[in-house]
Amino acid sequence: MALSASVVAGLQHLLGPAGVVLTREGRLTYESDMLTLYKGMPDAVVLPTSTEEVQAVVRICREARVPVVPRGSGTGLIGGATAPQGGVMVSMTRMTRILELDLANRCATVQPGLINLWLTNAVRDRGWFFAPDPSSQMVSSIGGNVATNAGGPHCLKYGITTNHVLGLEMVIGTGEVVSVGGKAADRPGYDLTGTMVGNEGTFGLVTAITVRLLHLPEAVKTALASFASLVEASEAVSAIIAAGIIPAALEMLDDAMIGAVNAAVGKVYPDGAGAVLLIELDGPRAEVEAQAERVAAICRERQALMVTVARDETERALLWKGRKEAAGAVGRITAAYLLQDAVVPRSKLPQIMREMVAISKRHRLLFANVFHAGDGNLHPLICYDDRKPGELERAQQANEELLHACIALGGSVSGEHGIGMDKAKNLPLQYAEADLNFMFRLRRVFDPDGLMNPAKLLPSHPACGEGFRPARPTLPAGTWV
Amino acid sequence: MVVVTTPALGGALRAIVGAEHLHEGGAPVDGAAPRWTAAPATIEQAAALVALAHDERLAVVPRGSGAALELGHPPTRVDLVLDTRRLDAVLEYNPDDLTVSVQAGCTAGALAARLAGRRQILPLDPPGWAARSLGGIAATQASGPLRQRYGTMRDLLLGVRFAQADGVLTWGGAKVVKSVSGYDVPKLMVGALGTLGVLLELTLRLHPAPDHEATWLASFRTPAHAQDCVAALLDSTVQTNRLEVLDGRVLAACSLPVSAAALAISIATVEPAVRAQEGLVKAIVQRAPGAVQTMGASFWKTYDRALAGFDGVTLRIGTVPARLVETLGAVQAVLPGAAVAGAAGLGALRALVTHADVSVLLPPLERLRATVGEVGGGVTVERAPRALRERLDPWGPVPAAALAVMRAIKTEFDPRGVLNPGRFVGRL
Repeated sequence: MALSASVVAGLQHLLGPAGVVLTREGRLTYESDMLTLYKGMPDAVVLPTSTEEVQAVVRICREARVPVVPRGSGTGLIGGATAPQGGVMVSMTRMTRILELDLANRCATVQPGLINLWLTNAVRDRGWFFAPDPSSQMVSSIGGNVATNAGGPHCLKYGITTNHVLGLEMVIGTGEVVSVGGKAADRPGYDLTGTMVGNEGTFGLVTAITVRLLHLPEAVKTALASFASLVEASEAVSAIIAAGIIPAALEMLDDAMIGAVNAAVGKVYPDGAGAVLLIELDGPRAEVEAQAERVAAICRERQALMVTVARDETERALLWKGRKEAAGAVGRITAAYLLQDAVVPRSKLPQIMREMVAISKRHRLLFANVFHAGDGNLHPLICYDDRKPGELERAQQANEELLHACIALGGSVSGEHGIGMDKAKNLPLQYAEADLNFMFRLRRVFDPDGLMNPAKLLPSHPACGEGFRPARPTLPAGTWV
Repeated sequence: MVVVTTPALGGALRAIVGAEHLHEGGAPVDGAAPRWTAAPATIEQAAALVALAHDERLAVVPRGSGAALELGHPPTRVDLVLDTRRLDAVLEYNPDDLTVSVQAGCTAGALAARLAGRRQILPLDPPGWAARSLGGIAATQASGPLRQRYGTMRDLLLGVRFAQADGVLTWGGAKVVKSVSGYDVPKLMVGALGTLGVLLELTLRLHPAPDHEATWLASFRTPAHAQDCVAALLDSTVQTNRLEVLDGRVLAACSLPVSAAALAISIATVEPAVRAQEGLVKAIVQRAPGAVQTMGASFWKTYDRALAGFDGVTLRIGTVPARLVETLGAVQAVLPGAAVAGAAGLGALRALVTHADVSVLLPPLERLRATVGEVGGGVTVERAPRALRERLDPWGPVPAAALAVMRAIKTEFDPRGVLNPGRFVGRL
C-alpha cells in the first residue's frame, strides 16, 4: 500500500526532508527488528523530534487511515517494530534527551529514544542507576523497554520495567496526547501508567517517560557454580530461593552454551560442566557477605562441581562476560536459531529441563540454554541449519512443543520479550476467550481505528474481533426472565 | 431488561446463593441501605449475581471487610451488596515459587498466618491490614509502611480473576513471577474500586520474611531536619525496610515522646547486616541533627493500631519526598488540628483530621490540593462522613485527557453502570 501524495507532502512539510525516509534503500533498514523471520517494509519512516511532531504524524496517518508503527532501536525479538501492513514507521532515534533529572525525588524524565544504559551513565557517578537491564541495554531504547515491558538479568530482585515507570506521556490512537502518572505518589483514577507499559505500540506512541532511579548498592558479589547437569543446577536455584535469598541475578548456561562461550571469548567457564549458575548478590556489604557464604554452601550441598566467587571487579566482569556474549557466541555452533522466552514456575525448572532434553532428542536438534533461572524465564536457543530443507520447520515444531509444555506447568508464553507478531498466535494457550476479548476491547479504547501497530500482540482470533460475545454465567431459570 | 418485581428478583438471587446467604437489606454501605446483600460461596455464584444484576440494571457494590467503604463519592444507588467474605480460601500456595493464589475475601491476616510457617510474607500493611480482605486492598490500592521496600499491590499482583459487569468471568496476568504476555490487566484492576470488575481471585508475589528487623525512632526539632535525614538516607546505601514520618500528634497517639517530627526507620535483613547498617543510620540521623532511640518489635503494631484506630477524616496525600516540609506545613496551615504520618521516602502521606467540621473542610482541602498539585500530587479523601463527601470531590482533579481515557474504559466495560456506579473519579 503506497502512501498518498498528500500524506507524503504532509509528513515532509511537518518534518522536513531529513525527517522523512522514502527511498527503498533507506526503508530497508527498518523492515524488521532482531527477529528477522518477520519482515514488513514501511512505506515511509519518519523521525520526529518532539511530542507535537509525533502527534501531528499520528493525526496525518489517522486522517488517511494509514498504520503507524513505532520503533526505538529495533532490538526487539518478537517481530514488533516491523510494518507488515506498510504504513508509517515512527523512529524515536531523534528523541533521546533526558528532560529532567530529579535525584532528590529519585526519578528522571526522558524521551523514548534514549538508550537504556545512557541514563545510568548519566547518574552513576552520583551513586544512582536505572534498574531494568535487558541484555540489549547498551543499544535498546527506554521507549522500547516500556513498549515491551522489558526485563533483564537483574529483574529477579528489582522487577521489570513496569515496576520502575512512574509516568508516561503518550500519543494514543485517537491522536490525543495523554499524560498519566508522574513523580508524586498515589494518583487517583485507573493506573493508566501500569496499563500502558507493555502495550507494544498498540495503544499509541510513548513520547516521554518518568522512571524511578535507585541508589547503587554498597556491595556486589558474583559467584559461579558449575554442576554436572541442568537438573542439579535447577535444584540449586530452588534451594537458594527456599533459603529466603533473592539474588540480584541468577543466570544459568548449559553445556552447549558453555562450549560456545568458551570458544568465542576464551575459557571463562569450566569445561566439562553440564551447567553453570551465575549468581549475583548486591546490597549492604554485610548482607552480601552473609548471603554469599550461604549460597556457596547451598551449591556445594547440591553437588556443585566447583564454586568460584569473584574477588574483584575484573574477575566479576569476566564471569559476566560469558553471559553477556552468549547470544553472539552461539554463532559458533549454529547457523541459525529460534529463541524461546517462555516462563515456568521456578520450582518446575528441573521438570521442564527434562522435558526439553526429550524434545531436543525427538527432533534431533541442539538446544543451547542461557536463561534467567531465578524467575523461571527460559531462553533456549533452538539451533537449526537454514540450508537444510525442513530443519526450520522442525525447529518451529520443537519450539511449539516446548511452549505447550511450559504452559501445561502453569507458565507464561513470554517472560520479557513480549508478544509482537511472533507469539500472538500462542496467547490462546494462556488465555480463555473472555480474557482475549477483554484485551481486545481495552486496545480498542486506545486505538478505535485499529491503526496503531496493527497485527501485533493480539492473535487473529474470533475473540479479538468485533461482535464477539464471551460465554456468560447461566442464570437460574424462573419467572424473572 | 425485563422489569420484574422485587420479590421475583429476590427469588432469583436466592436461587444463586441459597436462602441463608441472601438478605433483604443488610448493613448500609456508606449510609445507603442496600436492597439485598448476597454472600456467594463460589466465584461462579459471584459471577451469576453480577450477570443477573447486569440484566436487571441493579447497582452492585462489592465489599470485603468493609474497612474502606467510605472511599469515593457516596453511592447514589446500592441495589446489591456482593459480600466476598465467604470467598476466603487460599487456593494454591507455592512456597518454592514465592507465589500464592487466594480468593478475594481472604484477609491479609489469615494469609500471613498461613505464610508464617514457611517464613514468607505478603508485604502489604495498610492500617488495620490484618483484618482487611486482599480483594479490598487491591481495589483500593491501600498501602502501608512496607511499601518503602516492597512497593504496593500493583507491584505484587501477578494475576487476577474478576467478574466483568455482565458477569463474564475473566482472567488477566499470569501465575508466574515474570510475564509479559498480553496487556497488564492486573494493573488496570488495582485501585479501580471494583468499577471494571468484581475482583474474585488474586495471584500474588511473596517475599521471604527477613531474618531480623530492627527499628529506630529518630526525633527532630523541625520538619526540615527530618527531611534532611530522609534525603540523606535515600542518597545512601542503607536499605530501609520502612521509613515513616510521624508528626507530634501521631507520636502522641502512639504514646511516644512528642517532637516536631520523627522518623520511624527499620532495617530488615540478616542480623550482621542489620547491625552493620545501624551505625550508618544513627550517624545519618545525628548529622541531620536528630536524636535516635531504639524501638522494640512491637512498635509497628502500635503504629498500625494508632492509624487504624483513628476516628475522623483521613486524607491520603500523594507528593514527593523532597516536599515533606512544605506538605507538613501546608497541612498545619490549613488544618491546624490534623495529624500527619506516612511513607517519607515516597511522599505517600496520610493526614488524620479529628472532628472535622463539614463546613470548614472544603476550603482547606482545596488549598492543600493546590499546594501538593504543584508537583503533580493530589489529596484523596480516604475516609470521611458521607455528609462531608457529598459536598466535595473526594478524589480531586484528574487531568482532562487522562480522565477522558478512564471514562472511555469504564464505558467500554460497564456501559450500564452496574459496578459501583458514580463512586470513582469523575463519578465513573
